[in-house]
Amino acid sequence: METQTPDLGHEVFETLKYIIDPEIGINIVDLGLVYKVSLENGVLSVELTLTTPGCPMSNTIVTAVEQILQQRFPAMQVQVELVWSPPWTTDMISEEGERQLNGM
Amino acid sequence: MSTATTSNSPGKWVVLPHYAFAALAFVALSILLLFSTDAFGGHYFHPKLLTLTHVAVLGWATMLIFGALYQLLPVVLECRLYSERLAIASFVLLATGTISLSYAFWTFQVGWVMHLAACALFLSFLLFSINVTQTARKAPAWTIDADFIVTSSFWLLATGSVGLLMALNFTMAFLPADHLHYLQLHAHIGMAGWFLLLIMGVGAKLIPMFLLAHPESTRKLSRAYYLINAGLVLFVFDHLFFQTGLLFLYAILVVAGVVFFLLYLHDAYKTRQRQDLDLGMQQTFVALVLLLLPLVLLMIVSSRAALPQNLLSIIYLVYGISVFLGFVSALILGQTFKTLPFIVWMHAYENHVGRYKTPLPKDMYRHAWLRWQNISYLLGYVLLVAGVLLQVQALILAGAIGFLVTSLLYTANVYLMLLHKVKNLKPFSYGNANA
Repeated sequence: METQTPDLGHEVFETLKYIIDPEIGINIVDLGLVYKVSLENGVLSVELTLTTPGCPMSNTIVTAVEQILQQRFPAMQVQVELVWSPPWTTDMISEEGERQLNGM
Repeated sequence: MSTATTSNSPGKWVVLPHYAFAALAFVALSILLLFSTDAFGGHYFHPKLLTLTHVAVLGWATMLIFGALYQLLPVVLECRLYSERLAIASFVLLATGTISLSYAFWTFQVGWVMHLAACALFLSFLLFSINVTQTARKAPAWTIDADFIVTSSFWLLATGSVGLLMALNFTMAFLPADHLHYLQLHAHIGMAGWFLLLIMGVGAKLIPMFLLAHPESTRKLSRAYYLINAGLVLFVFDHLFFQTGLLFLYAILVVAGVVFFLLYLHDAYKTRQRQDLDLGMQQTFVALVLLLLPLVLLMIVSSRAALPQNLLSIIYLVYGISVFLGFVSALILGQTFKTLPFIVWMHAYENHVGRYKTPLPKDMYRHAWLRWQNISYLLGYVLLVAGVLLQVQALILAGAIGFLVTSLLYTANVYLMLLHKVKNLKPFSYGNANA
């Protein structure tokens, strides 16, 4: 995970934890799906991926990220980009995500 | 970083009617089973058994697979479905063809009703096959999953062609050999060519995806693909033109292919990140275990062992049951709950996600009903197989009751999802997201 403005980045990541992957039931941050958050000229950009290419939930997750950030940061323009490189692996799941995944 | 595209999912009216029809067909199948306990005592070429088989393979299994595939094809091939109109036309033809063919078999009217039904089904398969092939042609990268799916649609078309010829032959009698000769061809290319290859192609993508596993190599899948298709092609040519008696060899090729597929899934299972299996995945693994019985029976029926005719007839019946009411039905009963909740959820909540707290797909059906569905299914299946093997009508009836209970629980859950309405959504109150 990478951010250009640490305070804002933290707030964005905390906000994105409200977006739950509908199949796995874990938020997209702890799943390691959010690759990069940056702010440039009032544009809040987020790069995220999915657990598998062609995921039928891609549109839904992108919309969810756009809508929650637009609602939380109304003064900024939100731009969400879906990326496949580097490909997502289970190594990207956080400790908290693994804890939830194993029902602990 | 390479940029990806957004969702390729088709409209809900392309997919959901298939689930609605298939659930009702499963209830109809269970009711017909209840009234057919007397039909399991003799040969499989019996009007009631032909009806049951076609309701199961067309109305229940093929209908649901068509619907699920329109949703999953874009996932597996990573591109949009070629035509939603073709998909809807194919659905209408499959539905009318199934109802009229079932009526024709039950009343054994082999005239124009059966001819029209067979034509409608053939046309439905043709449209489906065109849709699948054209979609695959747009895929950004050709994978072994695409090989399985496209080839299975050709085998479906071949199965439908033989079926159409047999339906016409009932009154026109133009085929050189007797009906049973072609029935064996029709049944085996349908079972191994259509159902098995299709399930493998989709399963090879979905099962690791649901387990959060990433198998490194698809070599085992490639071997499975070539072995099964080699076995089928050799069987078809031999059966039609040579009759060399090498059936056992072709059966070994098919069984070896299935073993490679199971080994591939075993690799995925070993490297899975998700340790807890939900009820849908548990039922999927039950289906994979149930697959072993038809494989053993395939070896027996193809070995041409000198078994008494009565015993051979029973083995053929159990073989058919173990494929359609065993492996295929068990898989559908599990995978429905890995696909339908997500499809309905996506269409219901796509505009609300990120703005309001939404339920999750797993909250859209009753888990207790699903648990009892899985239990009553396994009980019904074991009783039915035992009843047919031992030729005890009371056991067959008990099995049919098990299937009826299963179908009612399944259909109740399916319609609970299909009729789901969005209500009382609350906005987020930001605090601790993981709390």
